[in-house]
Order: sequence, then C-alpha cells, then structure tokens
Amino acid sequence: MATMCHARALYLTAPRCQTYLHVCQTFSQFDNKSHLFGKNLIFRVENIFKLTKMAPKKKEAVSKSRGNLVEDEGLDWLKPRALIKPDDQEDVPEADLEEEVGRVLTTINPTWVADEVAYHYGQGKFVAKPKPTFGKAYPLYIFQGTAIRKDSDEAKAQVAAGYGMTSFDDAGPKRAKVKKSSAEEEEEEEPEAEPAATGEEAKAEEDAVAEEEKPAAESGEEPEPTEAPAEQAEGEGTEEAAEEAEPEEKEEEAAADADEEIIEIKPRVKKLANQFNFCERAALTYNFPRRSVETQTIPPARANYGSTALQCIIFDYYQEDFAKKLKEKEEEKPKRLRKKAAKHAKSAQQIHDEQLAQRIREAWAILERLVNQNIYDDIAQDYRYWDDPSDEFREGMGSLLPLWKFQFEPMRNHAVCDLQWNPHYQDLFAVAYGSLDFTNQQKEGCLCLYSIKNPAFPEYAVITDSPIICLDVYKETPYLVCVGLYDGNVCVYNAQLTLESSYQYKSDSVRDKHSNIVWEVRWGARMIDGEASFFSISGDGRVVQWAVMPGELQATTIITLTSNVPPIPGPDGTMVTVNSCGSCICFHPERPEIFMVGTEEGMIHTCSLKYNRNYVRSVQGHHMPVYRIHYNLFNNSIYASCSGDWRVKIWEDGRDEPLFMFELGSPVGDVKWAPYSSTVFAACTADGKVYVYDLNVNKYRPICVQAVVSKKTKKLTRIDFNSRLPVIVAGDTKGTCHVLKLSPNLRVMCKPPKKAQGVDQRTLQIMKLDKLLSLVRDPPFTPGVVDEKFEDD
Amino acid sequence: MANEAEETVRKLASHRGVHGVIIVNGEGIPIKTTLDNHISVQYAGLMSALVDKAKAVVRDLDPSNDLTFLRIRSKKSEVMVAPDKDFILIVVQHPVE
Repeated sequence: MATMCHARALYLTAPRCQTYLHVCQTFSQFDNKSHLFGKNLIFRVENIFKLTKMAPKKKEAVSKSRGNLVEDEGLDWLKPRALIKPDDQEDVPEADLEEEVGRVLTTINPTWVADEVAYHYGQGKFVAKPKPTFGKAYPLYIFQGTAIRKDSDEAKAQVAAGYGMTSFDDAGPKRAKVKKSSAEEEEEEEPEAEPAATGEEAKAEEDAVAEEEKPAAESGEEPEPTEAPAEQAEGEGTEEAAEEAEPEEKEEEAAADADEEIIEIKPRVKKLANQFNFCERAALTYNFPRRSVETQTIPPARANYGSTALQCIIFDYYQEDFAKKLKEKEEEKPKRLRKKAAKHAKSAQQIHDEQLAQRIREAWAILERLVNQNIYDDIAQDYRYWDDPSDEFREGMGSLLPLWKFQFEPMRNHAVCDLQWNPHYQDLFAVAYGSLDFTNQQKEGCLCLYSIKNPAFPEYAVITDSPIICLDVYKETPYLVCVGLYDGNVCVYNAQLTLESSYQYKSDSVRDKHSNIVWEVRWGARMIDGEASFFSISGDGRVVQWAVMPGELQATTIITLTSNVPPIPGPDGTMVTVNSCGSCICFHPERPEIFMVGTEEGMIHTCSLKYNRNYVRSVQGHHMPVYRIHYNLFNNSIYASCSGDWRVKIWEDGRDEPLFMFELGSPVGDVKWAPYSSTVFAACTADGKVYVYDLNVNKYRPICVQAVVSKKTKKLTRIDFNSRLPVIVAGDTKGTCHVLKLSPNLRVMCKPPKKAQGVDQRTLQIMKLDKLLSLVRDPPFTPGVVDEKFEDD
Repeated sequence: MANEAEETVRKLASHRGVHGVIIVNGEGIPIKTTLDNHISVQYAGLMSALVDKAKAVVRDLDPSNDLTFLRIRSKKSEVMVAPDKDFILIVVQHPVE
C-alpha cells in the first residue's frame, strides 16, 4: 500500500519517533481510502491542528491496547500482528515513552540551507540560491498523488487483492456481490482467528511503514521500490480499513446474506469517500464549436503634419500666453471697475482697424520716403555734404545752391504768402498759400507742411475757403499753426488732427473778425490764466489779441492805429475816422509786452500792450508799406525792416535814422536775420532775387545776389532761414518754394581771438556786432531810450 | 480709409521712376495694383515667401525684434517692401538716370 506520507513536509519537530508514528498512522488510515483520488493534498494549518489534536487520543488508545489488548473490544477487528523490532533500536525506558512531548509548529523551513550555492551558467559563477517562497500559502504538508495506472502491475495487484472492484466504471452487481461476500467471509474469519495479535501486528506494520517513509522522505524520492512488499504485507489490513469505513453497509449486507440471489438487482455503485465523507463530482459542459467573426472598420483619416519650431514662434506663444493671463487677471477684478473701463473701451475690431490703418499709413510714409530718396539721391547728398569749392577763391562772395523745389499741384496759381521753418523739426516748414494779386483774387487758400524728405507732396495740406496771407507756428507746441486769412478771419490749425477736421479754432466771422486782410499773426506769451494767445494785425488798423480758449477764440483789441489823416465825411454825412493800415507786426524778443507795427504808409510804431492809445515811439521808416520788421537774434536793440520802396533798413532802438540802408532795386518782400550770425541777413525781392548781406564783410554791397526765379513771370515773396541747417527757403508767386543751400562764404563764423579762446560763438557774434555798431554810430548813441520811458511809469 | 488708400496709391505711383504699386493682403493675394495682373500675382507670391523668410531670420536672431522694411536693389529696378502681418505693400521703382 502506497502511503506517501511526507512527514517532513509537515515541518513538525517530532523528536520522538513514537508520536511521529502515530501521526503517520493516522494519515495512513484515511490515506488508504483516498489514495485513488490521486490528489496532492495540501493540508492547511487547521487540518494539521485537527491532526495534532487527534494524535494524543490515538496514542491513548495505543497505550491502552498495550496494557490489555485482549479485553479491548474496540480493537478486536485488528489483525493479529507480530511486533518486529529492528536490531539496533534504541531501548527507551517506559517512562520516557510516556512523557508528554510538546510539539510546536514553526515557520522555519528546516530543509532550507542558508548558504546554498549553485553554479550559474549565465553569469559563469556560483551564486547564492534564493530562499524558496510560496507566496501567501505556506505548504505545511505536501501530499504526493497516489493515482496509478489501471493497467500497471501495481494496479493489477491491487485489483487482485480485491481493491477498486466497486469503483465507478466496471464490475457488475453480481461480481461485486461475489467479491463482497468473499471479503465478508474473510472478515468474519479474521477477528476470531487472531484477536490477540491484532494490536501487535498493527504496530509492527506501522513501524515498517514509518521505516520506509523516513528514508524516502529524506532522500526526497518516491518510495517506489519498497512499496510493493509493504503493500503485500498489509494487503489484508488495508482492506479491513476500507471495510471499516462502511460499517452500516456491512451490517446490511450481512443481514441480506441469506438471500443473495435477490439483492443483485440493485446496481449499487460504491462511492469512495474518505473519512470526512468528501467527494468530488465534476461535469463537463458542452463545448461550443469555435467560430470567429471579423469585421473591418474604415481606417481613420491620416495626414502628415510637419512644422518647424523656431525660437520666435515659441516666443510668440509665450507672449500670447502672458497676454491671456493678464486678461484673466483683469477679469478677476470687481465688476464695478470693469464696467467703468468697458464704457470707454472700444471693441476689439475697432481697435484692430485703427491700428491697421495707422500701420498702413506709416508703411506708406516710409515707402514714399524711400521712393523720394531714390529720386532725389544726388540732391540729398549735396544738401548734406557739398560745399561750393569756388568760394575759396572768391574772397567775400558766396552763392546759393538750389536744392529742392516744393510745389503743391492744386496751388499752382497761388502765391506763397508766408512760410516758416518749424522750430522743432528742422526738416519741416509751413507754407501759406494765398494770393497777392488783389485784382484777381483766388477763391481758396491752403496751409501746407512740407518736409525736405519728401519734395513731391506736402506732409500736411489743408484747403481753406479763403486765401491765407500769413501764418505762425507755435514754438511750445509746434503742431499748432495760426493763420490769418484774406477775409479777416484767423484760425488755428492742429497738424496732428486728421484732415477732415480742418481747423481747430476759428474766429467768429460775425462778431470779432478783422474787417480787412490779416497781414501778420504772431504767437505771444501765455496769458495770466495759462491760455495760449496770438496777435494779429490787419488792414483795418487794429491789433487784436486772440486767447485760445477751449472751443473758441476770444478777441481783445490791443490798439487801433490812428493816422494823421483828418476824419473824412462818409456817404451819409457822418465823419469817419480813417485808421492807418497795419501791414506787419514784430515782438521784442525779450520784452513780451513791446511790439513794433509797420503800416502801409511806411510808419514803424513801437507799441506796448500796456498803452492802447498811444505809441511808445513812431518813426517814418519807409515811404511804402512796410513788409517785414525783424529783430536781430543776437542784439535786441537792432532790427531790420523792408518795404515796397525797394529799401532794406537796419535800425537801432531809440534812433530816428537807420544805421544802414540798402537799395535793392525792386520791392523787397521779406528780410530776415540769420540765426547763425549777428551780421548776416537775407532779403528777397520782387524781381526774383535773393540778397545776402554780411555787414561784417561788406557794409555797402551784398555778398551774394542770386536770381532764384525768372523775374518775368514770378516774384519772390517770402524767405526764411532754417535755424539749424545751412539752408534758406524762398517762396514765389507761383506757389513754389525754393530751398537753397548757403555756400560757405555766406555762413562764416567768428574765429575766437587769441586772447579769449574759450568764448562761445554767441558771445563772439554779439561782440562782432557791437564792434561794427560802434564804427557806424554817428552821432553818439544814447542808450535805453525805450527803457527810460518805461521806468517813468 | 478707402479714399485715403486710393489717394496714397495714386500719389505714390505718380512719383518719378515708380513703375508700380501693389497692395497684398494677409493671404498673399494682390488686392490693389497698378501693374499687370500676372506680374502683380507673381510679385505678390514671391514677395510673401521672401518676407516670411526674412521675418523668420530677423525674429530668430532676436525674438523681440521684427522686420519692418525690405529693400531689394537690382540692376534694373529697386523693390521696396513694407511687410506687416496683415498686409504687404510693394513698390517697384526704376532708378532715375
């Protein structure tokens, strides 16, 4: 009988072989019945505890049987067996055997060798074997399967011994009956035959089994070779055990023994059950035939995408993200604040459109500049770097190099009535288009701002409904230009505004405009309450101060110019006082309240804002209308005037006679002092010539006379020096502005004397003029005529 | 704006030596031109590509920088390009003799 009870797998520390044997015996008892299940039984801890609990009971039984085997009826079924003791068995005293031995379950695996090594072919060296692990299940007891092949010798032997006949498959009822009966016979015999020996025999048998098991367990092999004899030896015994499992059945059969022939009908299949009455059934379900169904979907659309991540793209995304975060932060603000902001905010589309328009304008402007640069490349070079080399050989004489001509197509037939360089932008000048042909007056005028960077078109051009006679650019805010019109109105234009909104301020045409041509306008000092103001002089003999109030111009008449002409009777008999006609106005560079007025009768009146009836001083300067009075930029007491009587005169304050007088042979439209020299001035005449004088070089003759326009068709009207560049601009009666470059001889600067090397140019210029004046003054100068007069107040 | 644009184009085209003015929109399509149709289309297509490339060069050297203007001087003419993200302005000018 094969009881492969691997006792060592129990991990039981069983030092005493006796108790150990009992355990084994207990196993073998149910093993015998369950061996055909062919199962590897792994007993869990509970099971083992059951066993250990059972074990002492059994032991008691055994010890009892040793004492009085014959009397013990519980063991009477045992076969009488001989106790075989091995020769070298140690003699153990009875007391030791009786001793209670504590058995302990431990988790230490006694078979595991701590430092076991094995040769690893992969690594080529000895490596330590890892500790075997079993996961969460701890195999405390491993039971090897006991199934054997039916046709093997062993099975045949078992069958021959009467085993397995009542299994599921074969063995008709009859045969089983026969077998059973024979077994019964055997059984019946046996207890009577050797009742006394059963205990001994059993013990011996157990020993033998234990003996076999021990070496087998230790070697770890199947105890196949020794199985056969043991099996034979206990063949009957085990059979008995099998029979014992069904005692009731046995009795039943015994009862039915008498009438055997009838019983056979019952096809009883003997269930093989172990002592736990455990059986296992299995059913095989129908296996459905395999079938595979396939379907194919439309493949998802594919596209190749490639892009380059440039540094700038990454940068842009970061910027975008930053803007978004800022916006989110903005939205977190309380609603009240946001609403306020939203009221003023324009829609995103509007902002975008405006920005786009602005960008396009800028791009156009640059493009235009580029085109112009290409066209006027040579002139641009000349204007900066070319100086007339012949000047070196012409002592005291200079020339003018014509650079650009500015013309505005719609203003071809208009005259340039006034022009002025912008005080802030050196390349920009303002031009007033009007008409000086009063018998054939033009209907409209134009205010243009030209830049020398773009000679083809004005940067800013606005058509007015009346010819413009004069203009002045405000020095504080150089985009504000005040103009005087032919119809007597004055306007203020803002070059920053778009062209649609033409003028920013205009005088009231009904209430306070001039009743004659406005001949000159000049910005003055700010008023007491901070408003900008300008002055205008007109043919109606009034000088008016215009305060630039928000939305309107407020007029104040400063002075009315009286004339010596007695009042003349009007058409209805009333006497009409005739005012003298003002033609030009000029403010003192340092005393904002003092100004000079030139009249059409040739008078030059010095006036003050403080006296609105009397002149401070009056001089009969010319015999024809005075066209311009201009203060010297280095000496405040020196001024120049020009007139239609062909003359240019240089005056000194407080002197009735001019210091210098020049006859130019033609009406002089304009005279201007040079900003770079105290002794240089330029004048333009109606016969199209520009005269440049340097009093330091020649007190009697101009150092340059140059015909700029043909005298047959055009006249020169106005002239202006650029404050920083060595150029002048001259306007003619056909709407053309000529920009001319002054040759080096015309802009000779002072050389500092050896004594005073560190003196700056301005001081030198003042010294130069003073020196010159001291030579010309005759009779001796009495200084401060004007000043004295004011000190009296 | 429309009038202003007309005016500007007319003004620019009237300059001496200016051969043509082309306004190209953001997609590279000429929307206003004073040149022949096929030449405009050719200019627009080629210039948009060139502008993109030039912009990439400038931006890649310094991401906070940007291309503002492009001027191509050739033997026969000069092409001036004002690039923007929403439009490209092209002016072709023959140099003055």
